[in-house]
Amino acid sequence: MTITFAESGMLKLAPLIPLLPLLGAGLVGLLGARVLKAASHWIVIVAVAGSLLLSLMLVGVVFCMHDLQQYDATYHIYSWISPAVDISFDVNLRIDPLTAVMLVTVTLVSLLVVIYSRDYMRQHRKPERGYERFFAFLSLFVFSMCTLVLAGNFLLLYLGWEAVGLCSYLLIGFYYQRPAAAAAAKKAFLVNRIGDFGFGLGILFIYLWIAPHAQPGQSPLDYAVVFEHVQNLSQAQCTTIALLLFCGAVGKSAQLPLYVWLPDAMEGPSPVSALIHAATMVTAGVYMVVRCGAIFVESPLAMAVVASIGAVTALFAATIALAQYDIKRILAYSTISQLGYMFLGVGVAAADSAIFHLYTHAFFKALLFIAAGSIMHAMGGVVDVRRFGGLRRVMPVTCVTFVIGALALAGFPFLSGFFSKDEIIHAAFQEHFILGLIGLVTAALTAFYTFRMVFLAFGGQERIPDGVHAHESGRWMLIPMIVLAVGAVGAGYVGVTPCVGGFAGWVAPHGWFHDFLAPVVAPFKHVTAPVHTGLVGAEGLVHGGGGYLLMYVSAGVSILGIGLAYGLYIKKPDWPEAIRDILPRTYDLLSNKYYVDEMNDTFVVQPLRRTSNLFFGIDRFVVDGVVLAVVMVPRTLGAVFRTLQDGAIQSYAVTMTAGLVLISLMVWLVG
Amino acid sequence: MNATSAYVSVGALLFAIGMVGFLSRRNLIIMFLATEVMFQGIILNLVGFEMMHMHLTGQTFALFLLVIAAVEAGLALALVVLLFRRSGTLDAQAWQSLRD
Repeated sequence: MTITFAESGMLKLAPLIPLLPLLGAGLVGLLGARVLKAASHWIVIVAVAGSLLLSLMLVGVVFCMHDLQQYDATYHIYSWISPAVDISFDVNLRIDPLTAVMLVTVTLVSLLVVIYSRDYMRQHRKPERGYERFFAFLSLFVFSMCTLVLAGNFLLLYLGWEAVGLCSYLLIGFYYQRPAAAAAAKKAFLVNRIGDFGFGLGILFIYLWIAPHAQPGQSPLDYAVVFEHVQNLSQAQCTTIALLLFCGAVGKSAQLPLYVWLPDAMEGPSPVSALIHAATMVTAGVYMVVRCGAIFVESPLAMAVVASIGAVTALFAATIALAQYDIKRILAYSTISQLGYMFLGVGVAAADSAIFHLYTHAFFKALLFIAAGSIMHAMGGVVDVRRFGGLRRVMPVTCVTFVIGALALAGFPFLSGFFSKDEIIHAAFQEHFILGLIGLVTAALTAFYTFRMVFLAFGGQERIPDGVHAHESGRWMLIPMIVLAVGAVGAGYVGVTPCVGGFAGWVAPHGWFHDFLAPVVAPFKHVTAPVHTGLVGAEGLVHGGGGYLLMYVSAGVSILGIGLAYGLYIKKPDWPEAIRDILPRTYDLLSNKYYVDEMNDTFVVQPLRRTSNLFFGIDRFVVDGVVLAVVMVPRTLGAVFRTLQDGAIQSYAVTMTAGLVLISLMVWLVG
Repeated sequence: MNATSAYVSVGALLFAIGMVGFLSRRNLIIMFLATEVMFQGIILNLVGFEMMHMHLTGQTFALFLLVIAAVEAGLALALVVLLFRRSGTLDAQAWQSLRD
């Protein structure tokens, strides 16, 4: 009861979390080009730092309320639309552990990326063209993402959902003079549109089916109302809604078959790839599915679809990453693969593990992207790992932080990625052996392609593209990298418990983080037993010596992958060539990304284009034909009369004379 | 045939000559001269009718018209010069495109 005051005060401040960045975006957008110029980043840094501070306070408040079991999760701000007396769509915020965790992740990574961008968006200490535009968009993105995770109803969620999509589009196309960037932005927007069409339909179905059950005064799109009445729906209805919502998640979070936009999105500046296309926006799909857990668990089919799509995407994207050479694209495929893990986690009802992985992934993947950006900056924009190498001496800090990020991504023991990934694999094994196996294989592939990239970029002889003055990045770029590296190492420790006799003798999965999230993921918990009760359903082994077998296995798999990469790219650098020559078909398939873009072009784009041409013809000749026929009437009349006005003075004079003669004749005859 | 008829006949003749000249030539200066001839025919009309009414207003008016005709001639010739500078020709057909 003592916290009531703080709690109510904090809740009043909660709307400021999205509003501060919005204000920042407005200020920089309006004043940036004329007044702020090269100082535009300060406004955004202050705004996002304010949001981060408030988010941290919010975590504290939610934690206290959570302990006292007394929070009312929905915080009403104002009535947005009320089309009829008893229907009203509100702007309300949902403040619970899930929101708090997401907010801290989003604002922390945002702040670091904004600080990093201060130097990254400069060439030779001079701000790039569009510097203030970049920061305005970045700030707008933070606003949108905070709105998305704070939303207390589906309408506001949809608003945030579309707004992050817009910001993503604007920032992918930041270098809009480059045709590739403009095309990538368009592709991202269009592919997301396919997913969002399903998402929008899902929300409409929720309204349609929940509204009859809602009491007067309840808004049928509020999370609280929907989740309260969801058991009144039939299983078919739940499946329909869940699959449609998942459709949106597939688009936004780049899962099969709508993942194609994410690799191309790397045309945007690296900070954008780090923030939007790795750490935050693309995880919105995972967040949404966890948020709507109450709907998804009602439909075993939908859960199975989520798990299968996640698992298949994880493996599929990891295999593509094996044969890529563009450092940012490798990371993009890796992001798709890791998002697949998260969906696999949600699909096997380990939602807390999925969110845990989302949270750790945000650190190490953002780190990898901004470190890759630091390399790009030093290499004059070159991203092909074949064109540079041995950078460990030129860029020591970048090298160390990149390797830390890579270790975390590869699931090296005791780094953040290890704990979260292992939990998901464990949960997958409990659900189905195949799913778990896919998780393990993907983990090995992940470790391999990550360290293939590390060894190509930092190992071996020093190779630098011609005409490039390679240098370590400045302080504004290094500090965020160091902070994220600390996060990549340590962030996982909120999700584990020190335990004598645990993994490696001192640590056991399932920690504070999971207890904190427990009320939010409660709907998932009646589906399966809690995660980590031992390998493959062997319950009761968690406190025994053997219960950690899977953790040892996945640690081994990770080290195996790293070792393989070391062997192939450091010890025997000519072996990869040999392997490629032995398996040319496989290599071509992977390096061409399974020809998915080509297939989409053949089976989707070209037929659409042909249909459009057909309709264009119909429009041209039938619709326009009718219009032209109508137009012909006045045109013909005009053609007759326009001959009278030929521009020759003499013919006018003749007409006048003729008129004069006519009038004279009339006067003579009549008079 | 009284004096008035003679004046009016000569005036009509001048007017007709001017009109034929205006209609048949395409040179801007000739066309302008033709209008001047028509103008003189009209002024002669005024003088003729003045004789009929024995009223001095007609002659006064004729003098005014001569002054105005002189001014107008200056203006019109200036325009012709400008048109010539623009098109490089005195042919009135050159400005036919102004119809649209």
